[in-house]
Order: sequence, then C-alpha cells, then structure tokens
Amino acid sequence: MKSTFHLLIVDDNPADVSLVEEALKVSAYAGSCQSVGDGVEAMAYLSRRGSFAQAPKPDLVLLDLNLPKRDGLTVLAAMKAGPEWRRIPVVIFSTSRLGRDVARSYELGANCYVSKPGNLSEYFAAVKAIEQFWFGPVTLPPQGEEQ
Amino acid sequence: MSSFAVQPALDQSAQVKTRLSALLVEDNQLDAELELRALRQGGFEVKARIVQDEAAFRKALKEPPEIVLADYNLPSWTGVEALHILRQEGLDIPLILVSGALGDVTAVECIKRGVTDYVLKDGLARLPQAIRRALEEQHERQLLRQAEQGLARKAAELARSNADLEQFAYVASHDLQEPLRMVATYTQLLAERYRGRLDENADKFIAYACEGAERMQVLIRDLLAFSRVGRKENESASVDCNAVMREVVQGLAVAIQQSKATVTFGSLPEVWGDRTQMAQVFQNLVGNALKFHSAQAPTVSVQAEENEKEWTFSVADNGIGIAPEHAEQIFTVFHRLHARTEYPGNGIGLAICKKIVERYGGRIWVESEAGAGATFRFTLPRESRPAAEA
Repeated sequence: MKSTFHLLIVDDNPADVSLVEEALKVSAYAGSCQSVGDGVEAMAYLSRRGSFAQAPKPDLVLLDLNLPKRDGLTVLAAMKAGPEWRRIPVVIFSTSRLGRDVARSYELGANCYVSKPGNLSEYFAAVKAIEQFWFGPVTLPPQGEEQ
Repeated sequence: MSSFAVQPALDQSAQVKTRLSALLVEDNQLDAELELRALRQGGFEVKARIVQDEAAFRKALKEPPEIVLADYNLPSWTGVEALHILRQEGLDIPLILVSGALGDVTAVECIKRGVTDYVLKDGLARLPQAIRRALEEQHERQLLRQAEQGLARKAAELARSNADLEQFAYVASHDLQEPLRMVATYTQLLAERYRGRLDENADKFIAYACEGAERMQVLIRDLLAFSRVGRKENESASVDCNAVMREVVQGLAVAIQQSKATVTFGSLPEVWGDRTQMAQVFQNLVGNALKFHSAQAPTVSVQAEENEKEWTFSVADNGIGIAPEHAEQIFTVFHRLHARTEYPGNGIGLAICKKIVERYGGRIWVESEAGAGATFRFTLPRESRPAAEA
C-alpha cells in the first residue's frame, strides 16, 4: 500500500486547476497533486522529459478534453497505447456534454467521464466523489514496472 | 432583350417608328409581303426574316426575334408546332398565327396551347395592334419574372442570414458558458469562504453577483436550447401525440399534484416530426397552463381537430389569460409579461414552441382575454414530410 497518492491534473485553465485544488482541500485529500496546461506538456510529464525528469508517476490523471497543442482525446489515446501508462486510471473532466465526446472517451479507454458542473457546490461534490472513490475503496494498479 | 416601347394613342402613321425584328413562318411569298406591309403601315420599322420549314425555323431562333408570325397551315408542319419549338428552346417570344381561315374552335384550341393571338389574312389591319398587345404582355411577363426572381433571391438571402444568426447564437452562447462558469463558481466560492468576514455590504454585493451569474447561466442554457431547435440533431419520424401527452402528464405529475390540476386530452393524431421537440411543445404549453393559473384549480384540455390539410391542436386552460395586445409578443425570445418573482421563468418556452411548430410548417397563436383563461392553438401538417425539412 502506498501512503501518499499523486494526482496529475491536465487542464489549460488555471482557474479550473485552482478550483480542483480547493475542492481537494475541502475533501481533505492527503496526497500530492501537480498540473500541466496542455497536451504536449502532459506527454512530456508522463515521459519524464526535460523539467519533468524527476516527476513522480501519477496514480490518477484528471484530464480535460479541450486542450491547446494536443487535445485530451489524443493524450488519452497515447496513454492507453503506451505500456508504461495504460494502467493509470484516467478520469475525463470536461465541460463537454456531447455524446460523441463521451463515447469517444470510453472507446479510447477512459476509466470514467465526469462533466464539469456549472456551480460551486456541484463542482466540489464531483471532485470529492472522484477523490474519495479513486483514493478510497479502489485498489489502484501497482506502481512497479510493466511485468 | 426587347427594345419595344409602348406607344399608346399615337397616330399609326406618325414618324416615330417602332423597331421590330420579326420571324415569319410563311410559305407564301405574297402573304409575307402583305403582312410586312401591314406592319409598316401600322408604325413598325420591321427587320424580317422569312422561313418555311422546321429546320430553318430552328436555325433562325439562334438569333431570337421579338415576335413570330406563323401561318397555321404549312406544307410539312403547323404554326402550333413552331410554338412547341419555342417552348423547347425556352424562348418566351409571342407567336401570332396568321391564317387564311381558322375556325373558332381551332382558334380557341391554339390560344389554349399558348398561341398569343391569331389574325386572319383578310384582316391584316389588325396585325400591328395584335403585335403591340403581345409585346406589352410579354414585357409584363418579364417584369413579373424579374420580380419573382428578385423575391426568390431575397428569400435565399434571408434564409442564409437566418442560418448565420442561428450559428452565431449557438457559438456565442456555447463559448460564453466557459468564462461564465468561472465567474459563477468563483463568486460562489467568495460567498462561501468570506460570508460574514467582510462587511454587510460585501455579503450583499457578492450575493447579487452570484444571482446574476446563475441567472445568466440559465439564460445561456435556454438560448442554446432555442438555437438548437433549427439544428438537425434528431431524425424526424411519425410521432404518436397520445403517447407524447401521456409522458408529458407523467413528467409534470408533481406540478399537477401541487396545483390540484386536471389535465385531460382527447384522441390525438400522429404527426411527422422530431419526437423530443413535439414533446417539448406540449410540455411547454401544458406547463404554462399550470403555471399561470388563477385562484381556481387549473383545468387543462388538449384536443386536436382535423382540417383539410392540417391538424389544429388546442391547449385550453382556465388560468389568468393574456390580454389580446400581448398575443403576439409572448412568442418572442425572452419576452415576459410578469415579474420573475410573480411567475418564474425566462420567457423562452413559447419562443421554442413557435420555432418548433414553424419548423414543421405549422403556425401557433393564442386566443385569450385577461382573466378569462387562454387557448393556445397550433397547426401541423397531416402526416407528411414537409419540404422545408429535406
């Protein structure tokens, strides 16, 4: 069992990142979290390239779809195709409620899809639900290298 | 193009001559001469070509004349066939039959087929007048055609600009949602974190900001719903309005119970449309009937009546009614007759109903007086795929 969890937030909107962080505080999340602002940065982080050489491997990725440079679905597809990342659970966290975005996300292997709510209490409730589920009863994949 | 100018009440032998390019279909040289002379005497400066057979006629049409004068009886074909060729070529050139003898029955038959006029060879003095009238009529036809074309162009422009506007409304409201979500959530966060920690005014101001942001979110959501009506998201199909009404009544069960309302509906037909949108029309109208109730418990009756080409649906209530002077405005977007505190809502429901009904080729209106209940009526075509939808 790990004692601390690590969450990666991929979102280009700093206000959204900050809102997630606030929600995590409210939810009493004890782990660490880090954020990147676009799809290219997300891939650099996961590959531990450049300034991310020492970055810890995330236990969970909270992935927005509408991202600059490389969109969320492309990042998701790359993650689920990479042996070293495909076990990492990915929660899509997007404002889009379009059926095709939801369907495509699951097709590409997203672990769940959560729409960003438009008001604070629902937003906090959604983040709290994600945090308490994935870092609660869920048994996450082991952190070692691919067997 | 015709260079013809109308010259009414002019002495026919006056010096001002009307230029005329004529094509004569005539096998008798003498008759042709007589016709031309009649034209000259009638005030025309004629440029004439004379042909005898079909091939020469077709060839001559490459340079279209202003008028065709055709003998009725030609050796190998008839003047009426010449008319047929004109139509084939898409030429709107008046054709006057000039004939030695033409029975009344034949004459009427020829005119029915589209011959402009006929003149007997022993009455050629009438020919110039017949030509003037034919050209005048043709000129009027042209004006009418131009007007029709102009109208069609305007209609196409309007449709395009409507589509643009709709696209704009959709994109604008869609893109407005994101920043507004930030405004809403962060003012709510301020309200939650700092309530009672600033001063009384600050709490009030933040509350106002929160309310404003929330209301704007609802407005944008409604505007998106409104602009989506015209977008093809669902396929049209045959819709059983009875089933739709049963669902609507079920969906409104809480409101019906709370207001102690009675909602009834007669035998309703099947119509062609998008099921979700049809349900929305009934839902909005019945919902309004429940919302705008008077002191007595609301009764709502939904009926349909079959007319020649369409169904007329009615949703009648015993509510507060609508003054006739508001009967039109209530169907425009965001138009409300009451303060939000009196009756909640954004004034989008009826606008959506109107847009849906019109999308399927129907009309919607209200018959009501203030205080005397209201009957909303709308029409839908009888079970046919409307052309506008294709």
